[in-house]
This record gives sequence, structure tokens and C-alpha cells, in this order.
Amino acid sequence: MNDQETPSTSPSRRDFLYGTGAAAAATAVTGLAVAETPAAEVQPAGATPASGPGALKVTLNVNGREVQANLEPRVTLLDALRNYLDVTGCKRVCDRATCGACTVTLDGKVVYACTVLAIEAQGKQIRTAESLFNEGKPDAVPAAFVRADAQQCGFCTPGFVVAMKTVLQDNPQATPAQIEKGLQGNICRCGTYEQMRDAIYALCNQKRT
Amino acid sequence: MPWPTTRRLIGTKIQRLDGVEKATGRAKYAFDIKRPRMLFAKVIRSPHAHATIKSIDTAAAEKVAGYRALYQIKKAGASVFFAGDEILAIAADTEEHLEDCVRAVRIEYTVQPHAVREDDALRSKTNTTGGPGGNNINAAGDFSTDNFENAFNGLAATHQADYGVGVISHQCLESHGLVAEWDAKQENLTVWASTQAVPNTAEGLRVHFKLKPGQVKCITNYMGGGFGSKFGPDIQGIAAAELARTTRQAVKLMLDRAEEVTVGGIRPSAYGNVKIGATKEGQIRAYEVECHGTGGISRGATVSFAILPYVYGPAIPNIKRRHRVARTNIQIARAMRAPNHPQNSILTELAIDDLAARLNINPMTLRLANLPPNDQAEAQANPRTFVGQRATIYRTEIEIIRKMCGWDRAWHAPGQGGKGVVKTGLGMALHTWGGGGRGPNPTRVTINQNGTVVAQSSSQDLGTAQRTVTAIIVAEILGLQPTDITVNLGDSSFGPSTPSGGSTTCPGTSPAILKAAETARDAFLTSLAGRLNVQRNQLSIAPGVVVNMANNQRIPFRQACGMLNVASIQGNGDWPTQKELQGNAKLREEWTTRLSNQGVGGVQIAEVKVDTETGVVKCSRFWAVQDCGLIINKLACESQVAGGVIMGLNYALYEECIYDRATGRQVNPNMEFYKLAGIADMPSIKVHMHDMPERGVIGIGEPPTIATAAAVGNAIFNATGVRVPIAPYTPERVLAALANRRAGNG
Ligand code: FES
Ligand code: FES
Repeated sequence: MNDQETPSTSPSRRDFLYGTGAAAAATAVTGLAVAETPAAEVQPAGATPASGPGALKVTLNVNGREVQANLEPRVTLLDALRNYLDVTGCKRVCDRATCGACTVTLDGKVVYACTVLAIEAQGKQIRTAESLFNEGKPDAVPAAFVRADAQQCGFCTPGFVVAMKTVLQDNPQATPAQIEKGLQGNICRCGTYEQMRDAIYALCNQKRT
Repeated sequence: MPWPTTRRLIGTKIQRLDGVEKATGRAKYAFDIKRPRMLFAKVIRSPHAHATIKSIDTAAAEKVAGYRALYQIKKAGASVFFAGDEILAIAADTEEHLEDCVRAVRIEYTVQPHAVREDDALRSKTNTTGGPGGNNINAAGDFSTDNFENAFNGLAATHQADYGVGVISHQCLESHGLVAEWDAKQENLTVWASTQAVPNTAEGLRVHFKLKPGQVKCITNYMGGGFGSKFGPDIQGIAAAELARTTRQAVKLMLDRAEEVTVGGIRPSAYGNVKIGATKEGQIRAYEVECHGTGGISRGATVSFAILPYVYGPAIPNIKRRHRVARTNIQIARAMRAPNHPQNSILTELAIDDLAARLNINPMTLRLANLPPNDQAEAQANPRTFVGQRATIYRTEIEIIRKMCGWDRAWHAPGQGGKGVVKTGLGMALHTWGGGGRGPNPTRVTINQNGTVVAQSSSQDLGTAQRTVTAIIVAEILGLQPTDITVNLGDSSFGPSTPSGGSTTCPGTSPAILKAAETARDAFLTSLAGRLNVQRNQLSIAPGVVVNMANNQRIPFRQACGMLNVASIQGNGDWPTQKELQGNAKLREEWTTRLSNQGVGGVQIAEVKVDTETGVVKCSRFWAVQDCGLIINKLACESQVAGGVIMGLNYALYEECIYDRATGRQVNPNMEFYKLAGIADMPSIKVHMHDMPERGVIGIGEPPTIATAAAVGNAIFNATGVRVPIAPYTPERVLAALANRRAGNG
């Protein structure tokens, strides 16, 4: 995968984050390949001082707990959670902001954890699907998924659950259409959307026609 | 050993036992496993579709911080046959360091000519895909009924056209891969793998490392999708285990998304020119197809040749078919949910609707007139076989779906889909699938003195709710609730089990689970009878209790367990051996036509809205009627059907692997340009299970995805009066077909 002549077709998300823009993208190879060494990072005026490239101590607040890890600045929030903190409800699927399997909330806003750097998430409240299970009981949203059988393999499910929970937290009166809209950043390969609609209507106390 | 005739749980809607763990992110999939001191590994792959490796230089990579080991898969001088072909694997301490290592590897290639499109492969004068033969073409079938030359003579209507569908990828959300770890003595290997064949995966590694039985253990507690693509350790699994052995550390190797799409499996393409003809009464008398397709470097057929034309074949007297495989420099095809059947469906069902239009007949009527007949001999020998009653099943199902969707009111002649820009249409298609089970699937049910019940088998739960199926059957027999049963699956040390492919798991395991539960129950009651000083036959099980008929006492189950004078009672259940089944017709009848069975039919109808200005097709409503014998869990069964339909709708409208002719690479090995539906893209899907409990358990994974794309294709034709020949029916293709019609060619 190191063919210098390889044309650039799709820069990997990581390279995009790594270099600050065009220089890095220009050296990336195919989606299959791992990119070439990126150009030196450019420090824009007025930006916070550069950290790294070595590991540094990063403190994250995950599901109400302060946790620390030694991370290189290039580590995404998703990889920090999964590889360093063993919080694996957020799944790595596309790793570039398409599928929603990595959905978590940062200070109550849904984000794709694969597209946020761990160091950017410091000082913010990070919540994953695991936070929706307390005292031996699931929250109403995951419980509705289970009741409606809105999951098969379940790999996409925590992402959908976090996205749906956030819509309802922001607007407890959300209509089924509004909730559905909040799920448009997530993809399920097993095809559980029909049952997901059942879950949505149940959460809205509405009958599906 | 029949299924209980009155069923308290079986066939009802029961929630998944592991639903909460999965929905709250606490379920640990192979991708989530973290072992002490675990390393990460990655495969370095060819960027070229066809090349010879000139040199491999890993010196710089080996100096990178965090580098631990490498495993050579191909040596310099070897050939690679597709972009993504494996060359070597590297392990490092963190994923970040691993990327640095991978980036530092230098490989030089001599690039060779390639073919990644079917037409290029068919034209190729050289063999670019390896193996024997001087070109990229395999003859994969040539068949004709006698005197076919005259087959179309005198028929009232014939229609000839091209139909087809491209290559798609499984796109499992959990990618292929595993975590490998050896014990301290480097003798026993444990892997946590994403697999639909737990014992096979352990066995593949055992053979590779030349170990003794039992030295490799594969664990799969949860599994993030397989769809036919995950039956063994694969090269990357072997690489991970090799690297774990070299480094004496656990190694995780899961494919990234681009790898998952480029090497994790494809469904082959199929393109055909079809000629079909019927009498004026609508009797189809002749079907002829000349077709080809590619399954990458695979030599296997890309259609189910023997059953083309699909479904209606037994009703059509004159058939001629020819199939060629165009080998391309793309990954090898893997089985994908109902392998080759959706392609057969497209090459059959679309032609039927076009013929119906020529005959001016309602396509539902044309189908009813050409159903495969009930095989009378079969029906007499055994009334529960599919072939003995297939026409009856289809007729019943068509009648149900006709009412469900209001066909008589809503269907209109092709092209009468409304006056506005957006046209509405209905289309239908039928399908069939085998879906029979077999052994071995040894299952053990343990009743403990403390009142707990544990069921165990090495079979796996792919999201099919196999764990819940197991609990339902055991709970039914023991008078308990499914949540009372602890189910342990997905561990190769529990013994053999059949791979979860071809809709065989539920029919393959259910009878064995039933037998284990009944054996455990009988041993439990026998033991209890001794304790209570009564005859065994005076004890029976009712919901929640053991009934002592000697004194009309009802002993709560848990209390009865406490009376045992042993710590636990076990019951084992499994299929008779193949030899026993072969030699004993009665046994065979019991296990393969009463406890389980094979052969299902299904009918699907799509309603679409076609925007004739933008070419966008939206499936607005969908109906599916499906039989699958005795249903164990109606909730999960309906989920499977709706999920199959959604996979079929993706096939019809969105997904396709696109390969660049110049570079030989896939241009969309991702999820942004490889389109999959989100919730807003999907219609409401009405599922009706046509329950046939007398037939025994039959699988449901494959069938519901087969007819979907053809139903959508026919609905587009019905809406617009224009046939869009090739799926997926993208806006571009729809507009092209509409323009072609306006130009007077369609
Ligand atoms: S993994 Fe983050 S969006 Fe897909
Ligand atoms: S449940 Fe498998 S991907 Fe959604």
C-alpha cells in the first residue's frame, strides 16, 4: 500500500484530522490504503498551542466518572473510549462520520465519536449508551427497543439509542416524525427500521396505523 | 418426540433475552474484546488489481516505535489478483503506532493487466485472475429441453429484453476479525471471533497450527452481522493468531471499513438476455436466458443455474439457459443471504411482468396461471413436504397479500401511474428457499438443585435471536418462562454445531433443544418421583409447577429442584447421525418432515413512487407474506422478514460496488458512497406469517430478501410503463430508461 504514484481518491478521516487541511489530503491514497506521511502541521495564528506528537495525559468525564489515559493527540474520542478506557457501547464501523454507530453525547449534544479528538472532549460531559442502564434497569429508550425487537445483531443499536434518547431529552414532546429525523445520521444493516418505528410510536404513546 | 400440540410460548412474541445488554452497549462483541497487554494488528494489502510483488521492505517499519512483529502472507515474486489481496500483517502496541508501522512498509510491484468489469473480462484474451485457462471466462452451464428450436412457434406473445443487477457487498457493521491469545505454554489458543460458524473457526485455526482437537477455543457471545460472509478464521484471523504466538501477547485484528468492503465478501452480479413466451390464455410455454455475471476471482456460478427460470420453472415446458462466469480482479464472492436467488428472481420475475403487459393480463393473474404444480407423488408420500403443496401455499399466500395491499383496487395497467410528475405503481414477485436443518447440534439442558436452568450449545446468535429460541423451547417443556433459562452459546468447547448459513440454524438446533429439554425433564421427574415415593407417571409439569397427581399437590418448580438429591440433572439432545437417518425412514420422516422441514414460498408486493423529473424512486409501502413452518418466536421471525425486505430494498434502490476500470479499484469501499438506506428511506413494511406448524421448524433468514428487488423493479414498470433493466434502480438509470422510451426505443 505504499505505491507513491497512487492517485488520491479518498483521504482517510484520520489524515484529515492529522494535518490541518489540504496538504495532508493531497498525499492520501485510496480508501483501502493507509496514507503517506502527512506534511508538517501548520499552526494557524491564534490557535491553542500545539500538543504532541507524543502521548499526554488526558482526562475525560465518561458517564459521570473522571477517567484518565495517556493518549497521543491524534487519538479520536471513539478510540480513546474503546481502546484505552474499555467503554465499547460506541462501535467503530465507518470511522468517518457516516454510520452513527459511534454516536455519543458531548455536553448533551450528539456527536460521532469517530470524528472528535479525545483531547477536544476534555472538560465536557461524555455520555455513551452504557449510561442508559442504571440500578439493573434500562432507560425507557433502550427498553422500547427491546420491547419492539428493534435490533437484530445489535451492533448499530447503541448508536441509535443514544441518538433517540437525545432527541427526547431535548424535547420530551417530540413527535414520531421528529424522532425519526433525529435518527437520520445512523445506519442499520440488519434492517430494523420497521421495528424501530414501533419503538418510536410506543415512546410517544401513539398507535401506529 | 413431537412438538407439543398446545403451545404456551412457542409461536408467540417473545423479547430477546440479550436485548437490554445489546441496546445499552454492554454486550461485548469480538470487536469489543480487550485483553491484558493486547496488541493491534493490520494487514497490508495490494493497491493493484493484478500485479507481481517485486520487493517487500519492512526495515523501516520494524524501527517504528511500538512495532512488535510481522507475519508474511505473500513473498516477493508472488502475484496478487485483486486490490486488497493480503501481503503481510504487522502487530504494534497501539493502533496509532500500528498506523505508523504500516505507513513505513515499502512494497514494489510489477503491475499486470486487470479486468474489473464483466464486459472487460468477457473480452479478455488473457487470464488475469490466476488458475487454469487462457482467459477470464468459465462456462458455468448450458441446458436445453428437447426440441427447443420450436418452443416459441405459434405463441400469442413473446418478450425479449435485458435484465440484471450489479455486485454488492455484505457490509457487516461488525467487520471480520478476531482477538487471538495463547496460553502461557503457547499450546492452547483462544479466539474471540466475529463468526457465524464457531466450531468451524476453531477448526480452521487448529488445522493451520497442526494442533490437537480441543486446543483451539472460539468464543462468539455476540455477533455484529455476517449474512453469509463469516464461516472461518480467514487469512486475517490466521495472521492475528500467528502474531499472537510470535509476540506471546494477545492480538486484535479487525478489518477497517475499507477492508471490510473490499475483502469481506460480495454477492455476484448477474446480467441476462431473456426471452419468454406464452399462449393467449397466459400459459408460459418457453423461457430462454443467456446470462453472465462476476463473483470476482471466483469460478462459481452467479445464478442458481438449475432453478432458472426461478419458482415457475416446473410449470414451463420449454427451457433453455446458458451461463458464463466472467472472472474479474475483485475479491472472491462469498455466500450472501440466499446466494444467487435474488439474481434468479430478477432474471425471471421482471420478464413475467413484461410478458403480462404484452398479453394485457394482470401480472398476479399470470403468476397464478403459472405456479409450479403440487407434486402429487410427493404429496401422497408425505403431505408435509414443500413440493407436494407448493402451488397451494403460493395460492394461499397470494390471496392473503392481495387483500392486504388492496391489489384489486390499487393495481392499474403499466404506465397508468398518475397524471403528475410522480407516478405510483405496484409490483410483485414470488420466491422459494430450502432452509432445512441437520445435525450435529448437541445441546445440553441442566436443571440445578438451586432452581436454575442452563441450556448450552456451541451454536451462535447472529442477531437471529438464537439465544432466545433456545430459551423458549426449554421453558415450554419445563413449564418456565424464557427469562428463567440461562443460555450459553457461542463457545466451541461446548461441542460441534452446524454453521449458521442458508437458514439452517433454527431447524438444525430446535429439535435437538427439544430433545435435550425433554430428556432433562424426564430425568428430573424420575429423580423427583424417587424422592416423593410416587411413580414417575404420576408427576407432570404445568406452568411453574410440578404436579403430583397422587395427591394433587402442585410443587413450585424451584422448590421441586430443591428436593433433588443431586446437585444437578442433565439432559442431552442431538440429531440422529446421518447414517441412522439414511437407514430409518420413520426416523427420517420424524426429524426432517415433522420436527424440522425444508422448503418455503413467499410473496412480496412493493408500492413505489417514481419522480419522473428527478428519477428518484421511493418505496412507499411494502407487504410480505411468508411461510416458515412452525414458528418458534413470532417477534423475531417478523423482524427477520422485515430485515430481509430492507436488505432487498437496498439491493433494489441503493447499494452497488463500483469498480474503476483504469485503476482496478473499488471507488466506494466505505459507507458514504456505498449507499445504504436510513430509516427515512424505508417504507412501512407489513409482514404476515403464514403459519404451518404441522410442517416443523424451517429457517427464515434467507427467503424474505429474495423477491424484494424484483417486486420493486416491477412496481417501477407499473408506475411508469418503462422497464429499467438494471438494478439498483438509481435516479440515473431511471432517467435513462425514461429518456430511451421518449426517444422511441423502449
Ligand atoms: S463510526 Fe463514527 S459515524 Fe461511523
Ligand atoms: S441490528 Fe445489525 S446493524 Fe442494526
